[in-house]
Amino acid sequence: MRGAGEIRVQGLRKVFHQTGTAVPVVAIDRLDFAVRPGDMVAVVGATGCGKSTFLNVLIGLDRPTEGRVDIGGRSPYDDFDHFRGVLAAVFQQDRLLPWRTAIDNVRLPLELLGRHSRDQVERARQWLDRLGLGRFERAYPHELSGGMRQRVALARAFAVEPTLLLADEAFGHLDEVTSAALRKTFVDLARAEGNTAILVTHQLEEAIEMGGRILVFGRPGRLLADIDLRTCPESRLHGLRADIQRLIQANQPDPQFTRATSAKELPA
Amino acid sequence: MTVDETVPGQTVEALEARVPFRFPRELVVALAVLAALWELVSMFVPPFIVPGWGRILRSLAGLRLDFVLVTLARVAGALVLSFALGLGLAMAMYASAPVERYGRPVVRLLMAVPVVCWILFAVLWFKWVELRIAFVLVVVCAPVFLVDALDGMKGVSSELRDMLRSYRPTRAQLFTKLVLPATLPAILTSWKINLSLAIRVVTIAELVGAVSGIGYGLVVAQELFSVADVFAWTFVLVAILFAAEAVLARVEQRVLRWRP
Repeated sequence: MRGAGEIRVQGLRKVFHQTGTAVPVVAIDRLDFAVRPGDMVAVVGATGCGKSTFLNVLIGLDRPTEGRVDIGGRSPYDDFDHFRGVLAAVFQQDRLLPWRTAIDNVRLPLELLGRHSRDQVERARQWLDRLGLGRFERAYPHELSGGMRQRVALARAFAVEPTLLLADEAFGHLDEVTSAALRKTFVDLARAEGNTAILVTHQLEEAIEMGGRILVFGRPGRLLADIDLRTCPESRLHGLRADIQRLIQANQPDPQFTRATSAKELPA
Repeated sequence: MTVDETVPGQTVEALEARVPFRFPRELVVALAVLAALWELVSMFVPPFIVPGWGRILRSLAGLRLDFVLVTLARVAGALVLSFALGLGLAMAMYASAPVERYGRPVVRLLMAVPVVCWILFAVLWFKWVELRIAFVLVVVCAPVFLVDALDGMKGVSSELRDMLRSYRPTRAQLFTKLVLPATLPAILTSWKINLSLAIRVVTIAELVGAVSGIGYGLVVAQELFSVADVFAWTFVLVAILFAAEAVLARVEQRVLRWRP
């Protein structure tokens, strides 16, 4: 059986039809790549290049128009319920339920999984402690700062102990210091837990700091470059930010950047 | 309030404890002035037009408490039934788009019919008085519960829905963990609207054919040409409404304490 955190994206296309018009909007146009279990992947690109749509397809909220997305050999859309407790997502806004306290928000996915009440509380408390929010477990979201709320959202995602962790512009809206601290927490925890992690971001620094793999998306939703920072030559790393910026502006795939892994390269 | 990251967290209990009971001074003063003005006018106008507080209080003391309890029971029973019906239908409409498409026009039609017409229909259709009153109250209040609850359900943030769906809830879990709590403010608002509506409607419904309740008490007062009794019953109705609103406000404060 394939690793549960292994992702294969083959010929993925997503087209939306706007209400009231017959004009189709192509959000993703033929994506092909694969992610090995335990990989940390940052998806970067300009606004409107289909990053969030890709993440929604990956979560299973949207059905691909063409092609396939498989996680551990199963489609997150068609086998929706199979992914209970397998994947967790952190979104741009914290998306905490305002009527629940911090601890009850962290408990939420555990309640959905039917975990024993005592286990829910213990685990939620443990994750709030790990994220430095132990003293705030009884606070409602509106009583917390933006950074604290996002940490609660992180605790909620990690509490599930997912195989696959997804983050959609999860830190970009916070101030630089908080954003950097949370990003580090995210990467450290994901590494410590052995999660496969996909971080969608429009901030190149964020992607480079993660130190894993960078997928550069162009418009409309296609792969311009696939850069593995672990194998990337030192000479290329210098000025990488400027190179990626040039790539995004030109919106043309660059053969200089080696494909780290394609879907076909992974064993069947 | 936003808690700074360097400041120890404030529990909800601590925040609540800091909000002391506030004496409703404005309300008391306004009502006292009104009562004084009333008494003043009663000194210059015949008692069968504006009776003084002495007469009204004497009438109040002589009112039948069982009539008040009967009216309260009718209102409470009808509101509970209307809520169950309204919420049930709202859930059905929320779950099924065709049910909503066909159901909405019917609800709009029901809401457009004046209360007096419902009372006449009730008199013509039903023989049993309790059924008449319950019918009128339910047909007036249930659509309000339905529309408010449905609008609340449909207004649930799609972002929160996507967040919850990413954790793969069952349909029941999606409803109980997200839709219902998010709809609670709308439900409480509809309770406030319906409470005042029901108290006004029940009195009119009791005017027709009932032999108990505040509405019947008003009919008797009118037949005896006792203006003081009419004022006393009116006073009771307003007091009930104020008390019920105060209870609901307290419930709302408690249930929606998570709101900023």
